[in-house]
Amino acid sequence: MDPVKYRNLFLEEATEHLGEIGRALLELEKDPRAGEALDLVFRLVHSLKGMAASLGYDALSDLAHRLEDRLGRWRAGGGIDEAGGVTLLFRCLEGLEVMVAAVRETGAAPPPAPELVAALAAAGAPEPEPAKKVRPQPARGAR
Amino acid sequence: MPVRVLVADDARFMRQLIREIIEPEGFEVVGEAADGRSVVEEFAKLRPDVVTMDIVMPKRSGIDAVREILALDPGARIAMVSALGQEALVMEALQAGASDYIVKPFKPEAVIATLRKVAEKER
Repeated sequence: MDPVKYRNLFLEEATEHLGEIGRALLELEKDPRAGEALDLVFRLVHSLKGMAASLGYDALSDLAHRLEDRLGRWRAGGGIDEAGGVTLLFRCLEGLEVMVAAVRETGAAPPPAPELVAALAAAGAPEPEPAKKVRPQPARGAR
Repeated sequence: MPVRVLVADDARFMRQLIREIIEPEGFEVVGEAADGRSVVEEFAKLRPDVVTMDIVMPKRSGIDAVREILALDPGARIAMVSALGQEALVMEALQAGASDYIVKPFKPEAVIATLRKVAEKER
């Protein structure tokens, strides 16, 4: 893998994703139960997580994972149902933007702000599931 | 004969990465798809030997796309592309008929070994 090529590819696509997330958050600001906007943010954050993990930007991938976990619970519940939820998403977006900018400038992502991590874990939200080592087996009859 | 592969992932980054991992190893990427609807269309058109299928994609999930592809061709061979923490979704995809899976971030040797195993499965 050519690290410079992939870093540039990451920066290009991550910047697009962050722009799209920002637009979706404006929708969610108007309607915190806007399902399509919530689905879009979830998918883009998931994608960001995978790209960052592939390049070893673990801090960025970890923040995205925590955010994805929170978004997943909101999706399962039919929307953002707590005060300050959309504000938290905007703060996370800002945190991700700072980290992507650092990758652009220094080639590495700094750790996220601890208060952001704490806010994501707050309000009774369980910690994101640790990466399990259990390997799912193909079901009987699966090719 | 190279193994003909259709790569489905909404991230260009991931599609490019898979292509660069597998092409030097005797696989030919015959097509790419960026969402769960177009992967079904591309499958019908290209009839690849193997599909790599991201789970979280726009328009239709990778799992729904697996079901649609298998309805078109019950012998289709599909390797899911999952992330850590998606074990339940991987299980659902395998139960839907996917052949195997690879996990992001990729270990190139694991990707190649899994796709070879999937390609060798009987149709």
